[in-house]
Amino acid sequence: MKQSHLSEVNRREFLAGGSFATLMMLMGGVPLNAADEKATNAEGVTSYKAKSVPVKVGVIGCGVWARDILKTLSLLPHGPVVAICDTYPAFLKRAGNLAPNAKHYGDYNELLADKNVEAVIVATPSHLHKDLVLAAFKAGKHVYCEAPMGTTMDDARAIAAAAKNNFKLNFQAGLQSRSDKQIINLEKFIRSGAPGKLIKGRQQFQKKQSWRLASPNPDREKEINWRLDKDISLGLIGEIGIHQIDVANWFLANLPLSVSGFGSLLQWKDGRTVPDNVTVRIEYPGGIFLNYEATIDNSFESEMGVFYGTDAAIMMRDRRAWMFKEVDAPLLGWEVYGKKEAFYKDSGIVLGAGATAQTAQEKKPAAPGATAAPASDVADEVSALQYALDSFLVNSHLVAAGVKDFIDTYGEGDDQALKDYLKDQEKNYLPAVGWKEGFESVVTAIKAHEAVMKGEKIVFDKAWFNVA
Amino acid sequence: MKLTHWTLNLTAAAVLASLALLAQDTLRYNAQPRGSKVTINGTSNIHDWEVEGEVIGGYFEVESAFGTDKSLKSVTSLNTPGSAPKSALFIPITSLKSQVAIGRDKMDSVMQQAMKADDNPQIRYKLTEMTIKGTVPDSGTPVKFDTKGDLAMSGMTNKIDMEVTMERMDDGKIKFSGTKVLDMTGWKIEPPAPKLALGMIHTGKEVTIKFEWLLAPRHVNK
Repeated sequence: MKQSHLSEVNRREFLAGGSFATLMMLMGGVPLNAADEKATNAEGVTSYKAKSVPVKVGVIGCGVWARDILKTLSLLPHGPVVAICDTYPAFLKRAGNLAPNAKHYGDYNELLADKNVEAVIVATPSHLHKDLVLAAFKAGKHVYCEAPMGTTMDDARAIAAAAKNNFKLNFQAGLQSRSDKQIINLEKFIRSGAPGKLIKGRQQFQKKQSWRLASPNPDREKEINWRLDKDISLGLIGEIGIHQIDVANWFLANLPLSVSGFGSLLQWKDGRTVPDNVTVRIEYPGGIFLNYEATIDNSFESEMGVFYGTDAAIMMRDRRAWMFKEVDAPLLGWEVYGKKEAFYKDSGIVLGAGATAQTAQEKKPAAPGATAAPASDVADEVSALQYALDSFLVNSHLVAAGVKDFIDTYGEGDDQALKDYLKDQEKNYLPAVGWKEGFESVVTAIKAHEAVMKGEKIVFDKAWFNVA
Repeated sequence: MKLTHWTLNLTAAAVLASLALLAQDTLRYNAQPRGSKVTINGTSNIHDWEVEGEVIGGYFEVESAFGTDKSLKSVTSLNTPGSAPKSALFIPITSLKSQVAIGRDKMDSVMQQAMKADDNPQIRYKLTEMTIKGTVPDSGTPVKFDTKGDLAMSGMTNKIDMEVTMERMDDGKIKFSGTKVLDMTGWKIEPPAPKLALGMIHTGKEVTIKFEWLLAPRHVNK
C-alpha cells in the first residue's frame, strides 16, 4: 500500500513540477541545459524549455478512430494538426472541432500537396491504405499507417516495400503495444527469464457490441460499415486481434509456423459477412501455441492475455499485469516485497512500468540478485495510442534531422552510407513498430483471417514474410 | 624588440609555408560518413552524463608529401612554427544525442537551446597551428601533434590548444583523434541550474570532448 502511495506522490510531484527535467532526473538523466545570462533568472535557475521539436501533421480519414487520434494529438504539443481530410463532409466537420487550426481537404491528393504537412496519419478504412501510403511517400511525408497496414498480402507488401525503400522518411505501423511503456516493461521482464521457458499464450477480446456504426442513409451505411464486409475487411482478427497477435510475435520472438481458424456468426445476423465469433490457434517454433479468441457476443473478461512459462504465468489486463509463480519456481528476490492481488484461487504479484529504479529504491532497497525492480500497481495514465503517436512524432523529426545532418555534412550521392547512418541512429528513436514488424504481424493476421473464413489450417511459407 | 623580431620571423615563416603549400600539389582528405565519433562527457551532483554523435564534416588539406613521406620531414606546414595544413571541421549540433534511456529528444532540445543552435547550428573548428610532437615512428603511424585552432560554439569563438593523434589506415584513410577538457563558460554556456521538484542539480562547468575523425584522400591539383 505504501508503494502505491509513494508512486502517487511522485506522480503528483512530477505533474506539479511541470518540468520535463523532473522526469529526466527520475529516469536517471541530467539535462545538458547550460545557460547564458539571459536564460538564467535571479535565482540562477535556467529557463530553457524541454520540448520535442514539432512535426506538423495531416490526418487522412476522420472516422471514429481518427477522432481518437485527434484527441490524443491534442495532448502532444509537438504534433500540431495542420490538415485533415475526409470524403464525407460531416466527418470532416466533426474532426475539425478537434483540430481547430487544421485546413480541411476532401481529396487526399490536395492534403499531400500541402507543403505545410510534414507527416500524415492514415486512418481510412484499412482496404484503402495502400494508395494513400504510396502517394504520401511520393509526396515526401512521414507516414503513420493504422493497423492493419493492408487487407491483402499484395497491399501490405507494397506498403512495406515502399516504407523500406523510402528510408529517408519515417514509417510507423499503427500497432501501439510496442510503444507502450507497460508492454515494453513486460517484454523485458519476459526476456529476463523470470517466467521460465515460455510454453504457450492465450489472448482474447470479448465485448458485446454490434460493431455496426449508425449512418444517415443506405449508401453511407455500406461505406461506413466496411468492417462487416468479408470482401474488404479482415474482420475481428485483422481489425482488433492484430494488436494482440503483434504482441505474441514480439514476446515469442518468432514468426508463426501455422495457423488454424474457426469462425461463426451467431448474434449479429444483420447481413454482415464476417463472423462475430472467432478462434485461431497459431503455432510458433518449439511447440509453442497461441490461442486467440475474439467475440462481440459476450463481454466476460473483456480484453486480456496470458503468457505461460515453466516458472510463472504473466497476465495482462486493463493495462496492468500480474505474475503467477509456480510453487517450484526459483526465488527472484524482489517478489517477496511485491504487492499481491487475489484471482480466484491464485495470488498474482503486480507487475508494472510505473516505477523507476530511483522510486523503487525510495520505497525499499533492491533485493540482492533481483532480476527486476518492484513495480507500481498504478495503471499508466498515458494511453498506448499516445505513446505510439509520441514515438511517431519524435522519430519523424529524428529521421528528418538525421537526413539533413548527413547530407549537409557529406553531400548527397552515397545512399548506402546514409542508410547505414540512419540504421545506426535507430538506437536513439523511441520504440515503435516499423515496416518489418508491422508487415510480419499483418501477414500473420491476414492468414489467420483466411484460416477463419476457410475453417482450415494454413502453413506459413517463409517467403510470405519477405519484402522486396 | 627581440620578441618583435622573433614574431616577424615566425610570421614570415608561416607566410612562406603557406605560399609553399599553394605552389605545390596538395593532398586533400575529406571527412567520411562512416567511422567518426564524438562524445561529450560531463559531471553533476547526481551522476555523469554523456552526449554522443557520429557526424563530423570538414577536410584536411596538406602538401602531397604527406602521402608519401611517412617521416613527415618534408611536409613544410607541419615543421614550421606557426604554420598548419588547411583544415576545418564541423559537427551539426542536432546530430549530438544525449545518452539516456527516456526523453532523449527533450534533453537534446534543451542542449540545442543552450547552444543557440538555431543561430549556430554547428560546432566549428579551424586549425591554425600544427606541429609534430615527439618522434614519428618508421611506420608513419601513429603520430602525435600539438595543435592550436579556433573553436566556435554558441556564437563565440575561442582559441584552444589540443594534442591530436593521427593514424594512417590500411586503405589510405587517416584518422585524427583527441581529447580536450573545455570550460563551457568560456563560450558563455554556464553550468546548468534546473530547479526541480526534488531539488537543484549542479553540474560541473568542465566537459570532456573526445573525437575520432575519419578522412579519405582526394587529390586536388592547384
